[in-house]
Amino acid sequence: MASASQPSLIASLKVQRRVLAALLVRELLTRYGRHNIGFLWLFVEPMIFTLGVTALWTATKSVHGSDLPIVAFALTGYSSVLLWRNMPGRCIGALMGNLALMYHRNIRALDIYAARIIIEFAGATISFFTLSLVFILGGWISPPEDFLTVAAAWFLTAWFGAALAITLGALSHEYELVDKLWHPASYLLFPLSGAAFLVSALPPLGREIVLYIPVVHGVEMVRDGYFGTKVEAIYDPGYLITCSLVLTVVALIATRWVEKRLTPQ
Amino acid sequence: MITVDRVSKDYRTRTGPKRVLDNVSFTLVQGERLGVLGRNGAGKSTLIRLVSGAERPTSGRITRGMSVSWPLAFGGAFQSQLTGVDNVRFISRLYGQDPDHNLAFVEEFSELGQYLREPVMNYSSGMRARLAFAISMIIEFDCFLIDEIAAVGDARFHERCNYELFDKRGDRAMMIISHDPGYLRDHCNRWALLDAGQLTPFDDFEAAHDHFLAQMRVGETVRAAAQPFSRRMAAIDSLRRVAHEDEHFMALVRQADAARDQHDWAAAEVGYAAALSLHPYERSYWVQLGHVTREQGRRVRAEIAYRTACAFGEPVRLLAPFIAAVEHPDSAGPPTSAATPDGGETRRQPPGYPDLAVLSAFAGGTERLSDDAALSLLRRPGAIEDVLARMLEDDGVQAPPVTLPDSIAIVPGDAPFRREWLEDLARLAGARQEGLEAALSLGDAPLAALRRAGGLEGWALPASHAMEAARA
Repeated sequence: MASASQPSLIASLKVQRRVLAALLVRELLTRYGRHNIGFLWLFVEPMIFTLGVTALWTATKSVHGSDLPIVAFALTGYSSVLLWRNMPGRCIGALMGNLALMYHRNIRALDIYAARIIIEFAGATISFFTLSLVFILGGWISPPEDFLTVAAAWFLTAWFGAALAITLGALSHEYELVDKLWHPASYLLFPLSGAAFLVSALPPLGREIVLYIPVVHGVEMVRDGYFGTKVEAIYDPGYLITCSLVLTVVALIATRWVEKRLTPQ
Repeated sequence: MITVDRVSKDYRTRTGPKRVLDNVSFTLVQGERLGVLGRNGAGKSTLIRLVSGAERPTSGRITRGMSVSWPLAFGGAFQSQLTGVDNVRFISRLYGQDPDHNLAFVEEFSELGQYLREPVMNYSSGMRARLAFAISMIIEFDCFLIDEIAAVGDARFHERCNYELFDKRGDRAMMIISHDPGYLRDHCNRWALLDAGQLTPFDDFEAAHDHFLAQMRVGETVRAAAQPFSRRMAAIDSLRRVAHEDEHFMALVRQADAARDQHDWAAAEVGYAAALSLHPYERSYWVQLGHVTREQGRRVRAEIAYRTACAFGEPVRLLAPFIAAVEHPDSAGPPTSAATPDGGETRRQPPGYPDLAVLSAFAGGTERLSDDAALSLLRRPGAIEDVLARMLEDDGVQAPPVTLPDSIAIVPGDAPFRREWLEDLARLAGARQEGLEAALSLGDAPLAALRRAGGLEGWALPASHAMEAARA
């Protein structure tokens, strides 16, 4: 009896793949529709953001505390911000609009979050990759010095963003305060996140403080991989990984906790 | 097999946790069709959601040894910005099926045509229901969970749904929830009653149904707030709605309808009469009462019922032949025309049997109006105010009796007495019910009490009573 209701791991993985694939298509269609460029908006939107910020910073000759070209600085900094900041934005309140989906037993709250996080990750990544390629080919910046470090930094930042997104998403279903507070918090965190400065350019006290913010380590690591020899990057991957691990556990507990309280509509 | 083992479910409310299901256990095996009866809010939908796995129980275990559908015939799981086609594709992907094959089936079954390519938010509720049902049929399950499917779509579509579900898939396990006992009797082979969070199983429909009805009787009846309507048709319209929301009333008429369909006229009469005692102004059941009494050869009662239906606004054109048939079975003599309401003030409208019963209880203290007296009053032309005037005059100059009966018969025959008849009186006379009850409890004479509560405004009454009332 118990074995009949407990399918094998392979079968479960198959179901999981199906559910995620179906949710991804549904999410893309709902969000971008079929009008004009459709799902291309997935990465065109973050590209426009990054380009806009790059143009602004170039025009205002932003001070960032190094002799890096501003284009390179904006590309790495703002792309990383988009990566971790958009995920919570999409996961907060995600269950509310999708309660009817819970009528399908195989769809769990985590699947809904996962689909949205994958889409955000894909959008930010494609945008970062495409813009890097354009800027490199255009000769504005040189290719990354250590591609693997960039990739590792990118994935670590995404991991942290995903864990944060799921935690806030689950909590937001029970406490609408989460939604209210996230908007100001995400704006306030932007200047602190390392997107607009290099840690090495800060006074010692400032460094100590900003290094408590996990995403700062991510951005610094991206820059280390990109421009390693030209900047002094200060970061500790171990700190970022520890934070992400702890937050992941919290995220999973919060999801389980909120799932008990879901009433499909 | 599905095993539900000691499952409880609490919901959090502002006033603390509320237990909706309490220690519910049952099993469901292939070929069993379990019908769960219960009134609104008994927890039927919660139970079906728990079994479907959409929601988790607070405690207890649900084991599913076969594939279980989502609760059928609800129109919710659509993304309304997406088209019907997108929704079909989504479900197909979700359950690992060929989208194009399914699309062909849905197109044929739902008959939505080009609308299938429109966003679901542009659909009417009927179209949504059709799409929902068609989508439910593309995935094959071992067990179907069905939530009140009787409410879906038009009759032709309903017929196709029934065929797909109960004929083609008749060998599956099913769990059906409904508050229509007849639907469950026809489609299930096991029954259970859900009340106050407890599930009681029955192997026999009649036993389940009896318990269901008994439960209705102890429950709170839906009461209309007696608004002082000056126009009777507006009052009747509201009262019919109140009747339809009363589950006890609906259970009684469904039972009566079932008896009528089996030509068990006596049982049907009992059912309709009991229902009308609860809500005497649901006029269409006066027509039914007329039919089932006519079938038993009780021509006087049938005529009373038909004429009452006409007085309350049922179309005379359709009822006239029946009235003629019971008035003159040998087709001798001209039929007396049936009075109809004109939408004006209540006092100027023709009376039905309940009005006559209330007025004679008020004017003469009568608990039960005799059939013959009622029929002669119904045949005689005259509005409600004329009837009251005549009743008061017949009593001579005496005041109406000071003691009013507790409850009166409001339907001819052996129907249960109606306790709330003062409510009917207040509504009839355009008085405030609380005012009337207060005045009566202070010891006012009924007529004076009614006047004091604002009733009988503008009614033409015999001079002596008018004077007496003025003095009071």
